[in-house]
Amino acid sequence: MTPLTSRRPLGVILNPFATFLTLYQREMMRFMKVVFQTVFAPMVNSALYLLIFGVSLGKTIHLENGISYLAFLIPGLVMMGVLNNAFQNTSSSIVSGKFSGDLEDLKVVPLTPQMIIWAMSAAALTRGLVVGLVTWGVGEVFGFVVEGRVIPVVHPLWLIVFLTIGGLTFAMLGISVAFWAKTFDQVSAIGSFLLLPLIYLGGVFFSLHGLHPFWQAVASINPVLYLINGVRYGLTGVTDVDVTLAFAVAVVSLMVFLFMGLRALKKGSYTRW
Amino acid sequence: MTSEPAGRPKQSERAPLATMAECAPLEVTELVKSYGSNLAVDRVSFAMKPGEILGLLGPNGAGKTTLISTTVTLEKPTSGRIEIFGMDVQTEPERCKMLTGFVPQELINHGYFNVEEILQFHSGYFGRRRNKDRIDWLLKELSLWDHRKKKVKQLSGGMKRRLLIAKALVHEPKLLLLDEPTAGVDIELRESLWRFVGELKASGLSILLTTHYIHEAEQLCDRIGILQKGQLRHLGPTRDLIKDLTKREIVVRLKQKNDTQNLPYLIRRTDRELVFQVPSSMGAGDLLLELGLELESIDDLAIREGSLEDALKRVLGDKGERV
Repeated sequence: MTPLTSRRPLGVILNPFATFLTLYQREMMRFMKVVFQTVFAPMVNSALYLLIFGVSLGKTIHLENGISYLAFLIPGLVMMGVLNNAFQNTSSSIVSGKFSGDLEDLKVVPLTPQMIIWAMSAAALTRGLVVGLVTWGVGEVFGFVVEGRVIPVVHPLWLIVFLTIGGLTFAMLGISVAFWAKTFDQVSAIGSFLLLPLIYLGGVFFSLHGLHPFWQAVASINPVLYLINGVRYGLTGVTDVDVTLAFAVAVVSLMVFLFMGLRALKKGSYTRW
Repeated sequence: MTSEPAGRPKQSERAPLATMAECAPLEVTELVKSYGSNLAVDRVSFAMKPGEILGLLGPNGAGKTTLISTTVTLEKPTSGRIEIFGMDVQTEPERCKMLTGFVPQELINHGYFNVEEILQFHSGYFGRRRNKDRIDWLLKELSLWDHRKKKVKQLSGGMKRRLLIAKALVHEPKLLLLDEPTAGVDIELRESLWRFVGELKASGLSILLTTHYIHEAEQLCDRIGILQKGQLRHLGPTRDLIKDLTKREIVVRLKQKNDTQNLPYLIRRTDRELVFQVPSSMGAGDLLLELGLELESIDDLAIREGSLEDALKRVLGDKGERV
């Protein structure tokens, strides 16, 4: 029997970063263990969108801003992959934890809500970025085949900023929704009936300038529009909205969902369904 | 939960860490937990002593699990205070959790990970990412070594139960909370787990446990608390509790039939056998003196002490809510 006594001071977490890193690693390993479902399936999805809309139909679509439809589509699909996967990673982790009972672990260990939200969101962002990166790579291959050139990244810093903020925001939204939900159906419903329309109507496939002014006004209240256009600006230098305004909307969205996520982690129930 | 009085410093500011070892491992003060109109825990107060095993017994729904869940912050108290080594679990939860190991009543199915990974993660949550020696020791001690690469769904119920115990101990807690740790396991495993709990106590760990196995609780626990309908009905050293709440039975077998009427303490008789129920403080010699029985007239004499089960029946009523 090894002694249970310790010379360490009682109750002090000696390495808080280690606790954060452990949860990040756990979340990473969780989605890597089902990599076909979490990474490869979204990649195939994005590749099909690029093939059908970008390569096939894209030849017949001409945009006012002077870039090809394929080049216009790539940033939208990259961001769609990041947002969807970030949301799914956190929400499915929490919901499956409620089913299995291992969500209780997070409550009985010395992880603070701040540590949990940032570790889970960072892992979700990583998954989103992996999908986004591969989508961009596939898009570049299609671009080279169709247009005979590599589509250059115009503003890499803005690209990183918008991808990071967008991924973190949707990861935190996933945490909030999963804690709020009482059944798995409710999480699916939020994804299908709220997020997917917001993403699809956020300018993934179309330019704001091609819409009737009324629908332009309606679309402009969708925060996802600003996230997608921010990424489009980063990748192609083209955007339907002012990039500073897009950045402000992105930061506000992040703050709102950080607050909601923290509240969910503090007030929500960790007990099993 | 009663709020911290204004200006009251946190434990870390109140006392040097060295003095924390002298605090009660767990102190519950006027704890109330209600779910709507259902009062699950009703003004419960007690303090554990360092290094003791305190058993909480009571029928289903008595509030045992709620009390433990509130201690590990899975539930919020309606009012009252819980302190672990002098620190309030509501205001300093992370420091309290560093000192506490928790074995839940229900099994957990960690879908994606194997036994070893689960223990590594759980250790990392406590800031101990490099804890191989401790993890290996627990795997061997709890007979999980050969199953360390298996996922939880491949384990038997008993192995899952041992995994929960390993998780609770991986960070070397000072206080262990065991909520029905042997529920649904076979006799052999149950005995080995109780042995292990005894070893943990010997190493200085303070243990709070709930169980339905009264015999084991009697053997293992230094003190017993009896909960009923959310209230702590009795709390005391196991021996004292039995002594206070039960009576001693003395069976006297006589060489010849005795027809003497109105014998004190007599509860039943056959031709040559008299069964007396006396206070625990009364010895057989005292009884014989009081009865005026000569030793030569006695063929045999047996004493049956009260048990914890008898004490529980006494507290919970003869019709007995099921413990």
